[in-house]
Amino acid sequence: MFIDIDCSQMKKYNQNAYGDYFVSKRYPDEARLIAVLSDGLGSGIKANILSCMTATMLLRFIENQQIPIRQAAEIIMNSLPVCKVRRISYSTFSAIDVDDDGNAKIVEEGNPEFLWIRDNEVMTPSYETIQSKTFKNRKLKVYKLKLKLGDRLIFCSDGVTQAGLGGGRLKLGLRRDGLIVLVKDKLAEHPDISSSEFSNYIVQQARNIETDRQPKDDISACVLYFREPRQALVFTGPPYHQQKDKEYAQMFANFKGKKAIAGGTTANLISRELNRPITMDTTISIGKLPACSYMEGVDLVTEGILTLTKTLEYLESGTQDIDNAAGKLVKFLLDSDCINFMVGAKLNQAHYDPALPIEIEIRKNIIKKIAKVLEEKYFKKVTVQYM
Amino acid sequence: MSEKVSVKVCLGTTCFVMGSANLQELIETVPAKYGDKVEVSGVPCLGLCSIDWEFSKAPYVKVDDDVIKEATVEKVLKAIDEKLAAK
Repeated sequence: MFIDIDCSQMKKYNQNAYGDYFVSKRYPDEARLIAVLSDGLGSGIKANILSCMTATMLLRFIENQQIPIRQAAEIIMNSLPVCKVRRISYSTFSAIDVDDDGNAKIVEEGNPEFLWIRDNEVMTPSYETIQSKTFKNRKLKVYKLKLKLGDRLIFCSDGVTQAGLGGGRLKLGLRRDGLIVLVKDKLAEHPDISSSEFSNYIVQQARNIETDRQPKDDISACVLYFREPRQALVFTGPPYHQQKDKEYAQMFANFKGKKAIAGGTTANLISRELNRPITMDTTISIGKLPACSYMEGVDLVTEGILTLTKTLEYLESGTQDIDNAAGKLVKFLLDSDCINFMVGAKLNQAHYDPALPIEIEIRKNIIKKIAKVLEEKYFKKVTVQYM
Repeated sequence: MSEKVSVKVCLGTTCFVMGSANLQELIETVPAKYGDKVEVSGVPCLGLCSIDWEFSKAPYVKVDDDVIKEATVEKVLKAIDEKLAAK
């Protein structure tokens, strides 16, 4: 199963920093994902620091595998200080450690209970309560779940469940019941909604019920969706050993999922080995990138290094919907969950001629950077194979 | 005059940065001038810079089987004229 995860956030009205902090990391080698959502006391910079520290520390504890999630959460629960002025905890948190088979461990301290949705019904998982040894008012909830294909988990900060509190229509705020109605309605209407869209929808709805649409607290919603992965393959650069061209072309042909080629020589190689003609887009390339070309059975064919360099730039800055080859490659990548790169290691000496008007990056380096941003910023599962 | 003259503009990385971006205007100007006697298209890569790199003669354009090095619009048009005259 692929875990489609995303988190949307909104700051409290008139604040310049987020008081909730979300952090998530995938471990492709272990087929595992850890995510933490923490809500810091108060709002603005202070809350941002508190939640950021809690979330990142908890993630570090768990990822080392030396401390199981349950103990890690217990340590943090017992050691988080109390605000002298308000006598409440510095931060609250929810954390999940889940593998691709759907075995999930979840801990919660102080945050609203998460929602587990299966077939558009809310499940009621059992949990174990651990009372804090140092603070009477702190309790840790520990869950062990077995998730199935199609399941969703929704974590949120109290900014969501308390949205609209004290306002006109909802005197007690949205609350968990209101959130459930909102979530179920949306899923009935749009059963395949992505986590990115869904989390954004929840946050916007919470904001809409706030008086004057001004959030009185930081609002965060994190959604995990367990579904079949959308596989994609990007073949870029000719293999170091030319005699293996046929083998790699066959691997490319046999791949099940969407396919892209980034590189003129690579496109020629595939065209030759698989006997599929290439046709070039007849429109004149706009700006600084060569146009795309077309090949049967391949979803996208672009030039290599220049397009990849631009793609990296767009991915890093979050630029989307650009009508050029790199914009198309960005869309191709973001519409996939598992992205496999086949990277040919052969260098073209002509690219390193100092007489070239612009500097051309080394393919391996760009791919490394693209892989990193896809993993860290867009939570994709990326594998890179050098050939 | 049975066969068309084929013009292939290399849009590979080296050629593109060395100026083939500007040669793309041929895709519009050539049909306007020669009608359907000449066919112009971009190609992903002619594979020439990796063989000829020491001489750095990109951008490359192929007019039928003849390679034009350091191609310019003028050079390509001249080559087309010569080809048409020979046919």
